[in-house]
Amino acid sequence: MSMKPNAKTVLEVKDLQTYFKTDAGIVKAVDGVSFSVREGETIGIVGESGSGKSVTNLSLMRLIPSPPGRIVGGEILFEGRDILKLTEKQMRSIRGKKISMIFQDPMTSLNPFLKISTQMVETIRLHEKDVSTQEALERSIEMLKLVGIPSAEKRIQSYPHQFSGGMRQRVMIAQALSCNAEVLIADEPTTALDVTIQAQILELIAKLSDKMGTAVILITHDLGVVAGMCDQVCVMYAGKIVEKAETDELYARPSHPYTEGLIKSVPRMDTTKKGNRLFSIEGQPPNVIDLPPCCPFHPRCHKAMEVCRHAYPPVKDLGKGHEVACWLFADESEKQQALKEANVKEKAE
Amino acid sequence: MTKYIVNRLLGMIPTLLIIITLSFFIVRIAPGGPFASERKLPEVVERNINAKYHLDEPLIQQYGRYMFDILRGDLGPSFKYKDYDVNYYIANSLPKSIVLGSYAMLLALVFGISAGIIAAIRQNTWLDYLSMGVAVIGISVPLFVIAPVLQLIFAMKLKWLPTSGWYTTGEGWKTVILPAVSLSFAYFANIARLTRSSMLETLRSDYIRTAKAKGMKNTTIIFKHAMKGAMLPIVSYLGPAFAGIITGSIVVEQIFRVPGLGKFFVQSSFNRDYTLIVGVVIVYSAILIVMNFVVDIIYAQLDPRITYK
Amino acid sequence: MFLKRKQPKEAALNEFAQVVEGNSLGKDAWKRLKKNKMAVLGMIIVAIYSILAASAMFLPINPYDQIILDHQHLRPSFNKTAGDLMMETKLDDLYFKAWRAGSLVVTEAESQKIEEWISLNETNKVWNFLYTEGEAQRQAGTFTFSSADQRTIDRLQEKIDTEFLINVDKMFYTDPETGKSKNIARMNFLDIQRIYAEYLGVEESVISDQIQNEIRSQVLNTVKSATPDLTAEEYEANLELELQSLGEKGMASLGKTNLLVSLKTAISRSIERGLKQEIKDDKTQFPINREVTVNELLSADITADLKHERHYYLGTDYSGRDMLSRIIYGGQVSIAIGLVGTITSVLIGIVLGAIAGYAGGKIDFFLMRFVDIMYGLPYMLLVIIFMAIFGRNIMNLFVALAMVSWLTVARMVRGQIMSLKNSEYVEAARSMGASTGRIIFRHMVPNSLSVIIVYSTLRVPAFIMQESFLSFLGLGVQAPYASWGSLVGDAVNGMTLYPWKLVFPAIAMTIFLFAMNFFGDGLRDAFDPQSKNQL
Repeated sequence: MSMKPNAKTVLEVKDLQTYFKTDAGIVKAVDGVSFSVREGETIGIVGESGSGKSVTNLSLMRLIPSPPGRIVGGEILFEGRDILKLTEKQMRSIRGKKISMIFQDPMTSLNPFLKISTQMVETIRLHEKDVSTQEALERSIEMLKLVGIPSAEKRIQSYPHQFSGGMRQRVMIAQALSCNAEVLIADEPTTALDVTIQAQILELIAKLSDKMGTAVILITHDLGVVAGMCDQVCVMYAGKIVEKAETDELYARPSHPYTEGLIKSVPRMDTTKKGNRLFSIEGQPPNVIDLPPCCPFHPRCHKAMEVCRHAYPPVKDLGKGHEVACWLFADESEKQQALKEANVKEKAE
Repeated sequence: MTKYIVNRLLGMIPTLLIIITLSFFIVRIAPGGPFASERKLPEVVERNINAKYHLDEPLIQQYGRYMFDILRGDLGPSFKYKDYDVNYYIANSLPKSIVLGSYAMLLALVFGISAGIIAAIRQNTWLDYLSMGVAVIGISVPLFVIAPVLQLIFAMKLKWLPTSGWYTTGEGWKTVILPAVSLSFAYFANIARLTRSSMLETLRSDYIRTAKAKGMKNTTIIFKHAMKGAMLPIVSYLGPAFAGIITGSIVVEQIFRVPGLGKFFVQSSFNRDYTLIVGVVIVYSAILIVMNFVVDIIYAQLDPRITYK
Repeated sequence: MFLKRKQPKEAALNEFAQVVEGNSLGKDAWKRLKKNKMAVLGMIIVAIYSILAASAMFLPINPYDQIILDHQHLRPSFNKTAGDLMMETKLDDLYFKAWRAGSLVVTEAESQKIEEWISLNETNKVWNFLYTEGEAQRQAGTFTFSSADQRTIDRLQEKIDTEFLINVDKMFYTDPETGKSKNIARMNFLDIQRIYAEYLGVEESVISDQIQNEIRSQVLNTVKSATPDLTAEEYEANLELELQSLGEKGMASLGKTNLLVSLKTAISRSIERGLKQEIKDDKTQFPINREVTVNELLSADITADLKHERHYYLGTDYSGRDMLSRIIYGGQVSIAIGLVGTITSVLIGIVLGAIAGYAGGKIDFFLMRFVDIMYGLPYMLLVIIFMAIFGRNIMNLFVALAMVSWLTVARMVRGQIMSLKNSEYVEAARSMGASTGRIIFRHMVPNSLSVIIVYSTLRVPAFIMQESFLSFLGLGVQAPYASWGSLVGDAVNGMTLYPWKLVFPAIAMTIFLFAMNFFGDGLRDAFDPQSKNQL
């Protein structure tokens, strides 16, 4: 968790839009998301289930199942090139080599029919054609040792079902990092694991990314995890980033009521007194099909104003890269303008 | 692994025993059967039967003798064709049925799996619709309609292929085509549908997403990563498919006049030639049990998650 | 005041005031089913078939079991009557003979073509060609039939014009003691025998012997046709076997059928002459439908019609029976066996599967081992043995099929019950003191019902296929009854000459199976959208 303010930007996402076509209508799973990842930095993406975190990151890999999904707009700049404009072949040379991914459920993410060795060797030889099978195998064993698998030489010849969940996730990490990826996307890597294992895995990711200089995009719904690992945090709600800041700044000054609620709902040893009730955000995240123009959080927001019901708030920079999308921080004139427009529209109807 | 095989082999014994016992007693309770004692038969036949079947012995001894004979591989004399025994007929006709059945199975597997995979990869394209359309026909049209229709078209109207007969009729391998194709059609259809759906399901699974995230080519993913998992349902379908092909061969042999076991079976069931019927059933069941055993072994080989208990 | 207020429909609101309506599983499934065009089409076709089959008795079609030997193998035709077709067949034959004899002259090339057709067995082409050629020449006056041939034609024409068919629908017998009139078809074998003897004025024993002999020769004929080339001695033994397995009851019912036919023939003969006279005198017009008195004790309802005025839209079979009627009645038998068989096997399966799943332990072990063993057997062969041993009739067919087809349902229900056994609501029911039977059949089975229904719909075509398979082999439904399978089976021999016998039942059956499969698939997708196209 070291700040490298002058580090180069490796990945930049600009106004990404990924929509899904369903029978009920178009689901705007990701709608105008922008963020950037610098070399060796760890960025956290936080949000409830269905807020579009996973879709954002599958979009980065261009792995959105299509149909029904489609990336309809935006740019994803990796090393200066727009990923969305690459051919499928060029894209394949980025997947697994430059950007690799760890998934939520280690139990199903490894192929149950192939030995670990086959799966790992295959990954290495796929991207480095001149490496012999023997060398690849040795490197895989090396990686397995690095992620802390005991007697790796023997266990590499096992099948995934012979490993425990935590061990499988270690194998996944080893596999993901075996080609020295520049960006590692970890999609809720600890959700399916036991609490004791969770910490180990996170520590492992942190350690390895530090050692190899890999940038990490950590997707989670657990703010505690973010606090411990990330340099920067994006909070997502209903397909949009509602607040983005450096970790310390975010915890010190949560500005969006949603972020505030999220932080308050984490149980804490130091401030929460016994007998105090834990804070909880009322209600459910909205269905993102055919959302009317409004702040999607307003039904659950205790600071909701009239304007929140009629227009999406503009993004405001609060300094030091702390950005927030909430009417609380907008100028009065902007609010009036938005209300006027909305009223005009409503009257027209 | 060996232990598993031995266990499964041992497990086959009770099934076979039950079949043999069942057939022994079914034949003996059959009304008007050869063993019904109250019947009046011409003297010649009566003496013949008594001598051949040891009917003077107590039932349990008869049962023991029958068991013993079968263990030795002797299925007894035919009740109707006095000069031959059941073994003779089966030895003569079984090879033809096995050849026919194997061709049919092979056709069904090769074309079924290919069609299924193509349909899955090109989901919702004309290729998908075409192969699934053909598969629906295969499932809905019964064998005994397909076979005569094919015969009518390809043998009688177009005259490309012989109408009936087997290798000996001078047309050689051409005689196998129509029976094998008609017999395989329904199983081709089922295998194609099964392959398509299980391939689609496998392609949606998490580990395929992992493989994609590694940057693998689609073809590699399908053949290296998805194939094994997608083949499991097909392997478990093979057992019922074998049973179906055995049953279906009865009809096909009838229509194309193949002198196989199925034709004998129907004839003997009309003749009430009980020893022959039972002999054929025992042979068919034994084949099926062995096939199921092979299928289990293949399944265990394919799926590493199966532990050999 | 006492009117109950209508309960407002329960509906949840989400944050944006959108109404979220709760739908039952059935409603949801129905909605999805309606979207699936093929499934809806299938459902409609199945419904049409079912209605046709159920109302077969009231449809204006020829009887399905009436044998008219003059009408053997008539081809399907929409505008020509049976008489026209008979005449055509006769002419085909005569023109062919004339060509052979050299009186019908054709060119050398045409002659060669005909010879070639004959060598290729293309009889239909030969007939067609010679018929058109002959008709043309006869019109042009270049060809005339020999006087013998002309006489044959004239005789046939007269026969076609005048022959009529008396149908004795019902016969009544008036009891001389009570004076009550009774339907003879409802009486038992011995009574009918007595009435018949009385009518003919002979001893009862004469009739009884005659019937015995008739049955023997009937059975012998079926034996001979089923198993050709055996010695006379073996036929004798086989005949005894068949008679033995018929038993008293079978003999009585066969005898009764024969007696009724004889009685009907006798009655129609006795009124035939009178009717003929009436026709000649122009006293009556066809169709005739009336009640006649035969003597003081016997009376009958009869219909009479010109025999060769009939239309056979789908042709006739080898004994002159109407294919259209046979297909419809065959469909009735096939669909009925499919439905009733499926329901029976599903019921057996539910009961055994539920017991195995709920009881567990030893019961489960043995039941499932039994199912496993049955699965390992080619069970259609067992059905064939059963039919061979216990006799070939619809009831046995049905019992044999139902006996082996409950296996899959039992397995499925067992699996469902096992998974439901530990669910909370079953726990709740148990804690409230519900009995085991109640828990199984009121709580668990209804919850597995959608799976069972879907499976059953897919079972019906399979059942029909199995039935037809047996009937095709000659082991299922026996003539005069028909099923689609037996119709196809009868048609396979001689299908180049009479393709309609194969084509129409095959099409009828295929369309139904298609429809049933699409409907079943649609139903499964509707109830379980996750498992698309899973087998």
